[in-house]
Amino acid sequence: MAERPEDLNLPNAVITRIIKEALPDGVNISKEARSAISRAASVFVLYATSCANNFAMKGKRKTLNASDVLSAMEEMEFQRFVAPLKEALEAYRREQKGKKEASEQKKKDRDKKTDSEEQDKSREDEDEDEERLDEEEQNEEEEVDN
Amino acid sequence: MAAAAAAAAGSGTPREEEASGGEAAAPQAQAPTSAPGARLSRLPLARVKALVKADPDVTLAGQEAIFILARAAELFVETIAKDAYCCAQQGKRKTLQRRDLDNAIEAVDEFAFLEGTLD
Repeated sequence: MAERPEDLNLPNAVITRIIKEALPDGVNISKEARSAISRAASVFVLYATSCANNFAMKGKRKTLNASDVLSAMEEMEFQRFVAPLKEALEAYRREQKGKKEASEQKKKDRDKKTDSEEQDKSREDEDEDEERLDEEEQNEEEEVDN
Repeated sequence: MAAAAAAAAGSGTPREEEASGGEAAAPQAQAPTSAPGARLSRLPLARVKALVKADPDVTLAGQEAIFILARAAELFVETIAKDAYCCAQQGKRKTLQRRDLDNAIEAVDEFAFLEGTLD
């Protein structure tokens, strides 16, 4: 069964919340309008992805990066998004750095303590850290299957 | 395969799950837990990634790119909602209708890419 990309919708609850916060109090939105906005957002992401991919290919890169997306925004005439997106990116990078440092610190602390003493505790932490490590390993590149 | 329906229901899995193929993506936003009160994006990155993967020309997409796309989509939703609201206001209505959205799409150049895609 062919699945149209437009069927990949973003969660309704989140979309509704974003809309309500953008509008003044007391303003409602009909179900049809909300679902149309949700679909529009999906189309937006698809269009932005395609634009960003063009920039990546121009740069002879196979991986979409943040600057490709920012260039795509300008191309799509959404320049007004560029500044807030850059800020968000900075905050995101700081947060990622913080996470990495926190997990590295945890590792250091764990290594300092004796194994027999912390065996049970470290097993729990290990799972958490391993998950994070996996995430970080994939930090640079996300595999997109074709 | 009703991926869209499954995705709409879904349970609260906090992490992106590569194995499940992105179908059982979390309906709730992934809130970063390190900084209290700082939510960088409300849209779940897993869903956005699924959309990016839908493009056959895309080989790989970095984590940052996915994040910015999610944030951009939020900004887009805010923008289009506000523009549509202007139309509703003119009709002195307090409920945004589908036709307000259609009007906004027609009126605003930047939304031209949406024409014909919402039907």
